[in-house]
Amino acid sequence: MTATEPQPARAAEAREPVAGVNPWPGAVLAWLVPGAGHLYLRRWGRGLLFLAVILTSLAIGVGLEGKLWNLVPGQPLSYLGTLTCAGLGLPYLVLRFGLDYQGNLQSQGYEYGAAFILTAGLMNLLVILDAWDIARGLKE
Amino acid sequence: MSHFLLMLAYSALVSVFFAALWRRSSREQAILFLQLFLGMVGAGLLLAWLMYPFPSGPPAPIP
Repeated sequence: MTATEPQPARAAEAREPVAGVNPWPGAVLAWLVPGAGHLYLRRWGRGLLFLAVILTSLAIGVGLEGKLWNLVPGQPLSYLGTLTCAGLGLPYLVLRFGLDYQGNLQSQGYEYGAAFILTAGLMNLLVILDAWDIARGLKE
Repeated sequence: MSHFLLMLAYSALVSVFFAALWRRSSREQAILFLQLFLGMVGAGLLLAWLMYPFPSGPPAPIP
């Protein structure tokens, strides 16, 4: 058996749902606050790391005055961009509706910042799926 | 912040993220982090070097 092959005992253990944990609260928490789903599942290190990485990416994007996508009728790409940004959960809602942030088109960092913000949203969507898989016992 | 520093920051953030998401042991995470980070930075520098002979042209007008 090579080091990359999963050990049967560990693999079987990983497939067991986390005892007493409903995956829905973890998924909702993971959407609302990056990393909170992992903290809910007691994956402290990973949860804090995801929180730090995603918020740092978002902070850089906002610091560059990058674009925060919103829906534009007739432009399907704007739907994807908005969905991606909305993956950030509470930070997105605060930026969009609390601070009325949209980015600054005149800023040199407008496109670069948009890349950081979109990446933060995509990362949080992946974190939500990871928290869901952990709660269902599909991952460690 | 320069474009290069932004690229380094972006590569580092993405590499840390995927290393934590896809690997569980610290050693595996460190290896994947280095692979991703060096791959992204190296690919970025290579693309920049390949594009160097081509003129960038005037900046696009702001709509």
